[in-house]
This record gives sequence, C-alpha cells and structure tokens, in this order.
Amino acid sequence: MDHNTYIPKLAKIIEIKEEVGGARPIKTFRTQFLSTNNFSFHSGQCAMLSVFGKGESIISISSSPLLKDYLQFSILKMGRVTSSLHEMQVGDIIGIRGPYGNSFPVEDWKGKNIIFIGGGIGLAPIWSVLNTALSIKKDYGDLMLIYGARTSKDLVFQEELEELRKRMPVHLSIDVEEPDWKEFVGFVPQNVTDKKPSPKNAIAITCGPPIMIKFVIKALEGLGFKDEQIYTTVENKMKCGIGKCGRCNIGVHYVCKDGPVYSWAEFKKLPQEY
Amino acid sequence: MEKVLSKKAFPQWVKKLESYTMYLPRKDGDFWNYEVIKNPEIIDLDYLNTVLSPKKIIFPQREVLLEFSTSNEEELKINEVLPEEAQSVIFGVRPCDAKALTLTDKVFGGDFKDPYYWKRRNSTALVGLACNTPPSPNCFCLSVDGSPHSKEGLDILITDLGDKYHAESFTKKGDDLLNLAKALFKNPTAKEKKDLEKIQAESKKKIQRQIKDTKKIPPKLKDMFDSPFWDEESLSCIRCGICTYLCPTCHCFDINDEVTSSSPIKGERVRTWDNCQFPDFTMHSSGHNPRPDKAARLRQRILHKFQYFVELYKNYQCTGCGRCISKCPVGIDIIEVLEKARDYGS
Repeated sequence: MDHNTYIPKLAKIIEIKEEVGGARPIKTFRTQFLSTNNFSFHSGQCAMLSVFGKGESIISISSSPLLKDYLQFSILKMGRVTSSLHEMQVGDIIGIRGPYGNSFPVEDWKGKNIIFIGGGIGLAPIWSVLNTALSIKKDYGDLMLIYGARTSKDLVFQEELEELRKRMPVHLSIDVEEPDWKEFVGFVPQNVTDKKPSPKNAIAITCGPPIMIKFVIKALEGLGFKDEQIYTTVENKMKCGIGKCGRCNIGVHYVCKDGPVYSWAEFKKLPQEY
Repeated sequence: MEKVLSKKAFPQWVKKLESYTMYLPRKDGDFWNYEVIKNPEIIDLDYLNTVLSPKKIIFPQREVLLEFSTSNEEELKINEVLPEEAQSVIFGVRPCDAKALTLTDKVFGGDFKDPYYWKRRNSTALVGLACNTPPSPNCFCLSVDGSPHSKEGLDILITDLGDKYHAESFTKKGDDLLNLAKALFKNPTAKEKKDLEKIQAESKKKIQRQIKDTKKIPPKLKDMFDSPFWDEESLSCIRCGICTYLCPTCHCFDINDEVTSSSPIKGERVRTWDNCQFPDFTMHSSGHNPRPDKAARLRQRILHKFQYFVELYKNYQCTGCGRCISKCPVGIDIIEVLEKARDYGS
C-alpha cells in the first residue's frame, strides 16, 4: 500500500517569536521533526499543520529549503487551529504533513531581477523564496522588496527587514499615517506604482489578501510587466492538501495540488473565483 | 464467463459466499439501503434503488483516519487506523452506481492514492443488477454515457430473465464468486442469450428522461461562469445539500478532530462527507468566501460535474441515477438546469 499522506509526522516547536501583537497577532514558529527529517520541499510549498484535538490548517513554509535544521511558519491567529498554535509553548508537539503544492520556478529565474511584493502575513510565503534568492544572490540580478501592512505594528519580520536593508532595497508602507513613520503611506499597490520597479528582465512575486493581489497586478501591468513576469501565490480553505476533498478548486485547478503558485498568465485563464 | 442461475438457487449461491462480508439492499421503512446480510434466506433483489449508493460502503460517511493520545509521560502518540481488509461483496449494484465508483476511483487515485478508499475498494467485489425497468422515473443514464445494462465498474452483472438470472463475470474477482458455487450455474442456452438481448434492448426504451445533446453542454458551461443564469437557477435552493449527499459520484469531504478526553488528550481524526452547497465549505477563517452565495455554489456543483470533471478526466461526473432530482425538496432538476444552460442566450 502506498504511503499514507494523511498521517502527520510529529515535530517539536523549538522557537516562537512574537511578530505582531494586538488584535491580529502573528507568531513565527520554528519546528524540528522528532524522528529523522526526510521532509524536502521547495519555496512556495505548504504544509498541513496539526494541533491534535483541534484539527489541521494549511500553512505556507516561510523558511528557505536550503536550511535543513528546522521548518519555519509565520502564522496569523485566525481560526481554531491557528488560535491553538498561538497558545502553544516551546517544546510542544505538533503534526506536520506535506509538503503540498507546486513551487516558485526559481531555476527559470536565474539572472533575472526579482521584485517581491507582500501584504500583511502574505510576506510569509514570499519569505522562503526571498531567502533562497538571497543566499544564492550571485545567481540573480537585482532584488527588491515592497511590503506593507495596516499599521507599523502589523509588519512581520521587523528585525529581519532591518537586516535585509543592508543587502537589498526594502520599501515599506502602512495604510494610514502614523507619527514617526518615514516611509510610504498608502496601500501596497500604490507603493508599487510609486517605486516604479522596471519590468526589464524582471519577475514580480506578490502575495497578500485577494484584494491586494488584484490591485498589485493592475499596478504592475501599468508599469509594463507582462502576464508571464508576474507570479502570485493563492490561498483557499483546504482539508486534504492532495486535491480530493474538493473545496479549494478554482475551475479545474486544485490550489492545494496545482497551486498555490501561479503566473498571472496561467491564473487569469481560471474563473475569477478566489 | 457467462452463466445462468435459477432464482430458487440464488440464496444457495449467496450462502456459498459466507466467507465474504455481504452487503445487500434491504427495506428499511419506506426505503431501501445496503446492509450486511447474515442470513441469505431473506434476500430480495426485487427493489428499485437504494437511497444511498454503495459508495457509502467504499467511502463511508464517517471514518477514522488516525487516533491520537497523550500518555502519562505527556508523550503524544498517533496511531494510523486503516480499514480492515475484509473481502466483501456488494450485491444488486445498479449500473449507474457501479460506474460512479469508477469516477470516484479517479479522484481517490492519481498522484496521492488514498489508502482508506483503496483498501475497501480493492477487497470488494461488485455484483450488479441490470435495470430491466428503470428504478426511478428520473433515471437518465443513457444521456451521460451509461446504460441500464452497463458492465462498467462491475465484477458481475446479473440480469433478471423471469424465473432465472443471467450472470456474466468480467473480472477475476467475479469469476471467483461464480466458481465458489459452480454446480448451481449452467451455461446459457441460445434462447436465453436471445432473451437477454431482447430485454436489454427494451430496457433502454423504458427510460423516461433524457438530456438532449449532452456533448454540447461542457463547452457551453465553460463560457457561462459569469452568467446571471446561476442566480436565476439557484433562487429556490434552500442549501440543504441533499443533492450531493445522495450523489453516487460526489466525493468532497471534511477532516476534523473529535476529542474524547482533553486532559490527557485523547481522540480521533475523522473524515466525513462534506457538501459544496454549504456556505462554510469554502469560507476562509478570515470570513472571506470565494463562493459567497447560492448561485456560486450551484454553479460549482454543475460545473464540477459537467465541465471541470470532463476537462480533467474525460467523463461526466454524473451517472444519471436521478437521486438529486427525486429528493430535492424544492424541485431543482439537474436535467432541466443543464438543458436550460445549453440553450441559454440562443
């Protein structure tokens, strides 16, 4: 009988970092498998996390696949499972199954400039591919990050972003004015238009709330990006992760299996239902 | 292998198969449903169709995937719970319901073979009962590449020839079942073969409902995603979900943890049927819902069956059993919806 993909592997939480507090808290978890780790994945893929007794939730892996010691997940407290995760402590055991879905075609992007565009927790799936590109930076052209959140307190990876500034341009934004905020004020798509990344030999990757993605794509089109140069990662409610439970489909595509990474050229051919 | 069995000998054949777990349609109040039969004397194949198709035996409405528990040392343990590999036979499967399993096979197969489904599927033989008269006034198998005598998905097909049954086996599983009671079966005579042909031809004429030009529907649906048609057709839907719960091809499921003790934690992870007609089927935990209304959900049901599935697997995900039509409390009729869609705007 084939491997039973529904059975998660047990993993220990080895580090928890509070990224964002307040009403929409985000924490970053680092996990290590209890038994030998043969979990190999590519940037963009997701894992199904279990809190036993609460259920499962599909979460994108935010660490780079080049890092072998741990898996990292940045998780917004939202539903039953993510709320339970937020109550967990270092040393607690969760279940992990996967990896699921396709990945960013990073091999095809060698030699190209890459613009990463994230909103809110949408930086998490981008973080993996960003760090992969950064660790083999010589293989790629110029890298740039455009990232925004509702308020300055809602920005994730704040320490890492400061470090990142030393290695690539980082353009942050918040939705409404705040005292001491020196960067862009407005929505992420507006910041994209404002920073005018060049479409020449470039790839743009965007992830965030569905509404943000729609307008970021419009902004990129306005700058002359072609459909094939724009990538996005999509999220839907998922239960199985393997294209069987029937709820995450957009037309014939099961986001868990055929996604979550799409070029805009592919994605615009699907029915607009996401 | 083609054989004939007298009706009187049928219970004796079933008795010979005692080593198998046997499922037969059984009348329960006003309805027929599959039950495990211990006493073959009381079997009866004089039924229309079961409320739930035999899908529920292969892919049960609720099944445990794994158990989890914390011991006194607080060590968490998980235990895979696979179905027992009991050799089973399901008797009296209607051809539409057997074909439906060939469709769920496609879903539960592929890159990730579902071990729960396939353990049961592989250890179960399907003995079909041809529909000499349609079991429902809403049968329309002929319109979706089926037939009342189709062998698709079956190990054996039984056809009622009056005082005897014609039984044809198509697989080794089927041959094994016939061989267990060799003495009861005779080879069909030329007349019996002729009778069979006649019955088969007549049965097709008795089917009352059909979809005209089914082939035109998938390409038409592809262009109707944004049509107001779906609002119009879904107005009367009360989102009870009976259409998909009774459907022999619907496969959507949910996975949840059920806890029997919270400290120390002990419980099961269970899979249950789920339903695309329910609002929370697709609702994100943020509240965002890609299918926010009845129109989007009816569209998903129809498009999944008559466009997406056709594109993915070259089959309609519908076998024409008519259950969704007969049981819909507000009279949404998939044949009418499809025919209206086919003619919409022309």
